[in-house]
Amino acid sequence: MTESNVHDYRDATLRSVSPNFTAKVFAEIGLDRYTICPSAIGDVYVAWSTPGVAAVRLAGDEQTFEAWYTERFGRRVVPAVEDDSVSAAARAKLQGGRVTVPIDLRDCSPFEQRVLHEAAEIRRGNARPYRWLAREIGAPDATRAVGNALGRNPVPLLIPCHRVIRTDCSVGGYVFGSDAKRALLESEGLDLGAVEKIVDRGFRYVATDDGYFCLPTCGDIATRLGVVPGYFGLRTLEEAHAHGLAPCTSCRPIAA
Amino acid sequence: MAVACAVAEPDTNTMLAEALARDVDRAFEDVVIAFRQPVVTFVARMLRDDARAEDVTQEVFVRAHRALHGYPPERRAELRLRSWLLAIAHNLTRNAVRDAPPPSDSLEYDDGTSRVGLTDRQPGPEGEVLRAEAWQSVGDAVAQLSPALRAAFVMRYVDDLSYDEIAETLGQPVGTVKASAHRGLLAVRAQLEMNDD
Repeated sequence: MTESNVHDYRDATLRSVSPNFTAKVFAEIGLDRYTICPSAIGDVYVAWSTPGVAAVRLAGDEQTFEAWYTERFGRRVVPAVEDDSVSAAARAKLQGGRVTVPIDLRDCSPFEQRVLHEAAEIRRGNARPYRWLAREIGAPDATRAVGNALGRNPVPLLIPCHRVIRTDCSVGGYVFGSDAKRALLESEGLDLGAVEKIVDRGFRYVATDDGYFCLPTCGDIATRLGVVPGYFGLRTLEEAHAHGLAPCTSCRPIAA
Repeated sequence: MAVACAVAEPDTNTMLAEALARDVDRAFEDVVIAFRQPVVTFVARMLRDDARAEDVTQEVFVRAHRALHGYPPERRAELRLRSWLLAIAHNLTRNAVRDAPPPSDSLEYDDGTSRVGLTDRQPGPEGEVLRAEAWQSVGDAVAQLSPALRAAFVMRYVDDLSYDEIAETLGQPVGTVKASAHRGLLAVRAQLEMNDD
């Protein structure tokens, strides 16, 4: 037997584990991990469990975050060394990537989950009233509960609860503060100044030049509000009907 | 991805063991990262089955985590992690070997004649073919060893572990380990010489 045979055997039989090996081990031992990701509002902690991302919070003091996490979720979380597929997806999404991030909403009630799933559908550049979201999930009288559910959103930014605002188009509360909420909406292309001008004049809807009427915060028009002369404000649904306008299918200004 | 022979340096061991003594959970991912490759490689050599090797390796770390939580900090600080993890791996592979049928790519046919000599010569650069056959024939010979000899041989002559480490891993006296590794070496050599005839 030559030395080189054993060397060749050694090299040829080296193995490495598959990319999600560490994730599988941590799933089995039931330990959650967190990492720091840059985002539109600065560095955030992203914590994830086996099903997906469980929490997003502003980065700050590790001990405070870990204590908050255990208090809320009843599980321990430790700093991660390496990214896996879940944290890598979250990292990409928080930097504007169009990726699907698995989310862990086990901590939320069924009602909260419905609210958050609906909020997740609101696209970049848009905003919707709390009352609108209550109507969309079939609970038109639950506007306050919708607000509370959004306030408990464990994964802000990944589920864009900042895109839900008040009916008068003031931004309302936010886990990272109202100023951050306004800045986020602006950075996503929503012209809040133009929206406020419309609302201040008593308009609830905006008619477009192609025969539809929208909420002032509809992404299809909100970015063009101040610049397109064909748009005009509407105070009531009756006005919209009188002009023969159809409701926008994107922002759904009235119940379907 | 380049596969390097990841053998943790002694100072890495000290660092990790001390971190484990402070907080098992916080240190654990570093332990997984440092040792997943040597462990899966050892298990794969023992089992000659890559898919099962990964499952067994996962189980090694799950058991290690559970065990670490049961140890007092001073015991965690003293651990020689590589031999400790390989010991868990060795126990698990011993069960896996016992439970599984012999590998299908066994060296010998039922009548005891060697398969190696009958292998079809594949077309291609002569040197490469001979080289591939050389390591495969080592692998085949290793597969023929009893699990006890195989573990001792692989750790001593393939992984270059010290007899002390191997003894710790296998939970046997150093003398026994030396004898097993040596018997393994003789058997592999004999097998290879038989092939050359």
